[in-house]
Amino acid sequence: MNDRPFFVGYLPIPGPLRLFLGAIAILLIAGFGAAGYVAGVTQDDPGSGAFRFDYGRQTVTGVVELVPYPIVHVVEGNDRIDPGDTFMMTAGGKSGVDIRAEPLSGQLAQVSGIVLERGDLYMIQLRGGTNGLQAADGAFPQPESEPLGRWRLAGEICDGKCLAGAMRPGRGLAHKACANLCLLGDVPPIFVSTQPVIGDEFLLVTGPDATRLPKRAYDFVGQYVQVEGEITRHGSLLVFALDPETLELTP
Amino acid sequence: MSVKYIPVQWNRSKWFYDAVMLAGVLLFLAIFLFAAPGLVGHERPISAQIHNARAFGACAFVMLSIILCIGPLARLDDRFLPMLYNRRHFGVMTVFVALTHVSFILNWYFTFSPNPSEIENLLRANTSYSQIGGFPFETFGIIALICLLILAATSHDFWLKFLTPPVWKRLHYLAYLAYAALVGHVVLGILQDQRNHALTVLFLGLAFLVVALHLVVWLRERAEADAKGGAWTHVSSTKDLREGFAKIALLPTGDRVAIFLHEGKVSAISNACAHQNGPLGEGRIVDCLVTCPWHGFQYDVRTGRSPAPFTERIPTYNLRLRGDLIEVHTDPNPPGTPVDPLTLPEGAA
Repeated sequence: MNDRPFFVGYLPIPGPLRLFLGAIAILLIAGFGAAGYVAGVTQDDPGSGAFRFDYGRQTVTGVVELVPYPIVHVVEGNDRIDPGDTFMMTAGGKSGVDIRAEPLSGQLAQVSGIVLERGDLYMIQLRGGTNGLQAADGAFPQPESEPLGRWRLAGEICDGKCLAGAMRPGRGLAHKACANLCLLGDVPPIFVSTQPVIGDEFLLVTGPDATRLPKRAYDFVGQYVQVEGEITRHGSLLVFALDPETLELTP
Repeated sequence: MSVKYIPVQWNRSKWFYDAVMLAGVLLFLAIFLFAAPGLVGHERPISAQIHNARAFGACAFVMLSIILCIGPLARLDDRFLPMLYNRRHFGVMTVFVALTHVSFILNWYFTFSPNPSEIENLLRANTSYSQIGGFPFETFGIIALICLLILAATSHDFWLKFLTPPVWKRLHYLAYLAYAALVGHVVLGILQDQRNHALTVLFLGLAFLVVALHLVVWLRERAEADAKGGAWTHVSSTKDLREGFAKIALLPTGDRVAIFLHEGKVSAISNACAHQNGPLGEGRIVDCLVTCPWHGFQYDVRTGRSPAPFTERIPTYNLRLRGDLIEVHTDPNPPGTPVDPLTLPEGAA
């Protein structure tokens, strides 16, 4: 109950109220702009991962090994991928290449596709069908592995493909559901250690005794965890076989 | 005047209202989508789909926060009442922004999978419901979206008539469930990852503002209600009334009554407009009729009836005078019941 001008929607707006509403309108629009600025510029850096289409298609020859996720020990490299390197593979979308790689386990194969790269981590997204992975002829050394003992690591379990650059950002809790979906599709999982392990920040992570990542670990994807497990060097790649019973969130 | 159901009624105020809100939303999105990437200095840009999803999601959160602030602001200062006028349009706009956010999320995070069903992927990808860290925060987003879709689908006057204003009003309290779910969605989602806490301050600051405004209004009205009791309750002094205006009182029953002084006589009607439960007591008498501040629906203060040919009716209340105090009976009369106005002694008002 006051003398202020009264607003009725279908009547002309009274003069003094018109001024007030004009000020509110300007403040609202400016407030939206300010909120958009704050929300937009405070986003964290998603990291350097990316599809390296600029490298062009990469084709190398190497020995396929299942750990159980398929990896390739490069025998004949190219300008970008050196002989002796070891890398992981993925298919298009949220799929791994297990079905294609299993018949070639322990054999020489030609691998062709696009590189995904994030720092020292890289993997190849294979071309479709046998164009991406096919048996090759020639002599090759059998891959060797070197057990490095039991370790307790702190870090994050991610899906390797998004982490390597298929998505930016490709890690963290907001990305957890996507990561789980990738892992369910057999994309290789990666453990991102908070401290380098023998010089490596990224380790291919598996279950115990060369099994797939256990279901219990899916609850911990995208979070900072501590976990114990056996580390084995396969070529230039470290493989961390975690013990799911020791998984715990980092306080 | 009041009206029966008509599909859409436009006027200059509505056009202006929608234009202001749309300008704000477009400015938010333009700055977030096109200006921010050049200002952040990232080595590589955030994936376009993720950037778009964040822009529309953040915008929907800001929009719903503003929508929920309008009600208590209008109670604290009646100059904000015009912001209620076309709030439904702003609400529907919010739903479209939220749907765009969902579309980007589904078509990025939950596609490209061997299972082509994005909805199925959304529901099965993360099932860590027994923990807070890593909780499937998408669930809260789904709850919020369902609520918002219900609100948008029933926002038209047709549903107001069909459901009746009290039921419609209660249904639209879903806006609060939607907001609570949205806060959970944001807190357990993006804010868990964000290392720059300016975003945390923005989101939680808006949520705090919404809660604080409602709390202030609720405490103020409870204090007024606690001061009353019994079948007849004191609502005003005769000296507090002014010609053409109302005093609003919260009854112990929880209902609000509007006591109007018109041509030297006092009448009491329900404070809730039959159209959309707008606060009639915050309106005033125009052309001898109480006029709702929200959409201009009108009633005869002595009968609670809209002028012919309109048929809206609201409850009236019985009044009595005790000295210079006006008391109202807490039981409302059936809608449209004529009540003789209370004549004040000369010089009382």
